Amino acid sequence: MAPEGSVLITGGTGAIGRPLVESFLRDGAGVVVLARDPLAETVPGVQVVKGEIQQGDTLGLDPATCARLRRRVATIIHAAALTRFDAPIEAARAVNVEGTRQVLGFAERCPNLERVCALSTVYVAGKRTGRVLEGELEHERGFVNAYEHSKYDAEQLLRASMSRLPIAVCRLSTAVGDSKTGTVHRLAAIHHAIRFLYHSLLPMLPGSAGSPVDLVATDYAVASIRYLSGEGFVPGRTWHVCAGADALGEAAVVDLAVEAFLRYRPAWRRRAIEKPAIVALETFELFRRSVEAVADPALRASVAVLAPFAPQLSFPKTFGDEQCQAALAGAGIVRPPIRDTLMNVVQYLIETNWVSRDGADGGAAA
Amino acid sequence: MSVHIAGIEYALPDQAFTLDDLAKQGRITSPVEALRDFGFERAWVAGDEGDGLAPRAVQRLLELTGVDPGSIGVILYAGATPASHASGEGPLAGFSYPVARLQYDFGLVNARTIGVSQTGCLGLMTAVSLGRALLTSDAALERALCVSVDVLPAGGGREILYNLISDGACAVLLERGAGPNRLVAERQVTKGYYWNCEARRNEIVAAYFPTARSVIRDTLASAAWTADDIALIVPHNVSLRSWEILLQLTALPLDRLYAGNISAKAHVISGDNFINLKDAEAEGRLRSGARLLLFNFGFGASWASLLVEH
Repeated sequence: MAPEGSVLITGGTGAIGRPLVESFLRDGAGVVVLARDPLAETVPGVQVVKGEIQQGDTLGLDPATCARLRRRVATIIHAAALTRFDAPIEAARAVNVEGTRQVLGFAERCPNLERVCALSTVYVAGKRTGRVLEGELEHERGFVNAYEHSKYDAEQLLRASMSRLPIAVCRLSTAVGDSKTGTVHRLAAIHHAIRFLYHSLLPMLPGSAGSPVDLVATDYAVASIRYLSGEGFVPGRTWHVCAGADALGEAAVVDLAVEAFLRYRPAWRRRAIEKPAIVALETFELFRRSVEAVADPALRASVAVLAPFAPQLSFPKTFGDEQCQAALAGAGIVRPPIRDTLMNVVQYLIETNWVSRDGADGGAAA
Repeated sequence: MSVHIAGIEYALPDQAFTLDDLAKQGRITSPVEALRDFGFERAWVAGDEGDGLAPRAVQRLLELTGVDPGSIGVILYAGATPASHASGEGPLAGFSYPVARLQYDFGLVNARTIGVSQTGCLGLMTAVSLGRALLTSDAALERALCVSVDVLPAGGGREILYNLISDGACAVLLERGAGPNRLVAERQVTKGYYWNCEARRNEIVAAYFPTARSVIRDTLASAAWTADDIALIVPHNVSLRSWEILLQLTALPLDRLYAGNISAKAHVISGDNFINLKDAEAEGRLRSGARLLLFNFGFGASWASLLVEH
């Protein structure tokens, strides 16, 4: 077990949290992970404390552990979130807003605290279109799902606390998997959508051929978070950890997935599966309603996974990441090409028999 | 060499049942309101007259057109299910082909006979496609008779994959040379991955739309037509909701869909497009030179579209 560290990570078992913890461990850095179930939710070798962000500003820790952690903690990386796109707004707010409030309450009583790095999503931009800058937050365009909305509310809370606490925000786009190995720690909506395409259960997607789909490699996201929550930390700053100008268009992502199927599962060609039609949101919604009215569970499930997040594609936007890129440049952290990453991810998914795996969690990769 | 449709006739059973009737009889699986929302209202159901539907349609067609039965060089007989291709009982019943019986009963003495099967609801469109090809390639042929008949088992279910099904027969006479309803272009795509309808029913529903869009686009492109050129879309009578989606995908306006027969006649399996073409013409919906798009899908799975100039 690594020595008890001064870094506390909430959400250390999530799609980003787990590889983040592993990254700290690889470097021999001690971290403490807050987990609801320390036995079930752990990375080998890491120190886990039992707690929950919704249980007051002690985070549900026993008094002794709470007091000890408060004395030691210098950095909090707040990664815990309810990432299900189909969650009701009340449930999403309970974790993402109220949970964040309790983490901030905990942080205020840490005498040696130097940094709070809160993970968020670029999709706090909701239904905005066009170019979204790192410093921007407020808008009245609305949201595609409760996840986006609750993270927006959480960021407002974070901003309001920045005068009292050293807080920075890392907004992630969709982390798809490791750039080199393709490893995916937890299947998210993007992986399920690709699986539906593989199985001929993806008839249409809302948006347009050129709608940007912002995907990033998980290892790049992890390296960025580590740097921005450590050496590169700047209180009050918001960074976009995303593909930015490198984002692929919607049709290009579909083409790339198909190319990967053909390369890594050549027999797939015989299926002659048509690529999904990229349609107006109105058409997609019409199809969704028809499926919900009568279709079999399998088809309903595929549409149910898509429905809470795919409409985002109808609000095309790109994310400016100049501040993030400038910060990372000094650390030698370079964004890997998303084309290569996506090919590796699909290869990994195919080789790990993802095509027959269920368990759609409908969540974000962040 | 052009080929045109010289005549169409069809025969439906004498009896129709409403959705409420069919629900009471346990012959539909989806909620009545869902099927009504999809545009359906009633289905035509054969009693004992099922075997007589095809002869009735052919009889009317020959009377309508007044052609010499001896001038028909080929009969293409389509049916979606195996039951459409056999008649009678006994060890040799499987060889008692209804198409040969039609040839004999109507004195089509110079017609060779061909059965068209395994293209599901595309049967009649496949027959028309083959008839066109034969008339184009064989100068000795003057006319081709295309016939479809589909009768579901008596007392059985009336809903297939969210569509209400009617029994019926349709006969189409193709003729070499210039005339109204010229066959301009066609395209049929088969995707064998979907051959197992039971196992792949969800995939079929999902594949339907993007493949249909490709087939329609490719057919229009092959004739150098655009969506704007289409005066009337002559559908197969499946869910109106599915048509709304498909038309949005293909940039074809909903008000050009000949949709009335979805509620009035339901899905007469392979006869739909030509029954609708006949009715649209009878209602005065077609002006001379109007460009028409016929589209159909059949389990198997195959998609087809046909462009016709009225």
